[in-house]
Amino acid sequence: MSSVNGAMPTTIIVAGLALTGYALLMTARNRRMGVSLLAALGVLEILLLVLVGLIVAKLASGGRPASLPTLIGYLIAMPIVPVAAAFLGLVERSRWGPAVVAVAGVVAAVLMVRLHQIWPVIHV
Amino acid sequence: MSEPTTSPKPAAAPEAPAAPELAVAPSSTRTGPGRLLVAVYGLFALSASARAGVQIATKFGHAPVAYLLSAFAGVVYILATVTLTNGSPTARRIAVVSCSVELAGVLSVGTWSLADPASFPDATVWSSYGSGYGFVPLVLPVFGLLWLSRWSRRARIRRTAATPAEDEGKEAGSGVGTPGTDPASRRD
Repeated sequence: MSSVNGAMPTTIIVAGLALTGYALLMTARNRRMGVSLLAALGVLEILLLVLVGLIVAKLASGGRPASLPTLIGYLIAMPIVPVAAAFLGLVERSRWGPAVVAVAGVVAAVLMVRLHQIWPVIHV
Repeated sequence: MSEPTTSPKPAAAPEAPAAPELAVAPSSTRTGPGRLLVAVYGLFALSASARAGVQIATKFGHAPVAYLLSAFAGVVYILATVTLTNGSPTARRIAVVSCSVELAGVLSVGTWSLADPASFPDATVWSSYGSGYGFVPLVLPVFGLLWLSRWSRRARIRRTAATPAEDEGKEAGSGVGTPGTDPASRRD
């Protein structure tokens, strides 16, 4: 295995941006957070956890990025993003709950681009 | 087969529109639009300080000015996150100071990094007015100050008014500070 397959990060970027679009639509329509947005965050969480697994497998097989502490920081931060967004989104019982979820979608997409920058074997 | 899955407004929408009694004016600096501000500030607090921590610990000599400025930015973001979450009058004053320092920082460091790139072999959060972060560092303090100014105006009205609750509603309805951010004035 020479690199982490680009399918996973690309899927996460698409899923994150789709989630952002849907969440912004809910904010525009003055909806508060509900089951569908929570389910979408759950899907994003699973995708991120799979990618964390792929990267850990890459590390276990001997690969090393330029800055290992940075990569470990990203591995810890990635799965926290949807969880934190779900918490803040549920606590806020107004249109601003979905707005927080919209930010999480963009963050997930940006994290993929940054992952590729800190360790180019992770293709986007 | 009967329920459309892609329609933005399915028949049995689990997301009920915010009920009138729930769509009241935000009750503190951390609710309503404030929730979004706190989320983004928290994100920047975490990323800026974590990044600065790694850089200072592993390669401080490479770009000391940039790394110290990143660390300073991280501290300012942490302060703004905590004080916006707290929302007491004292915390709001500290939040105004940190948002102002942040705005001054992104403007001065942004100009400095463009005028003297040699001082910045590695980027900070505020380099080129935060272009590496989608200019969010430039926009964030502006929204923070707008949000806080709305709160100080509301507090002033509350101090002088005989019926605080009524005036608070009027203040929220006018939406002077942040137009379009008030659920009470925007519900269908």
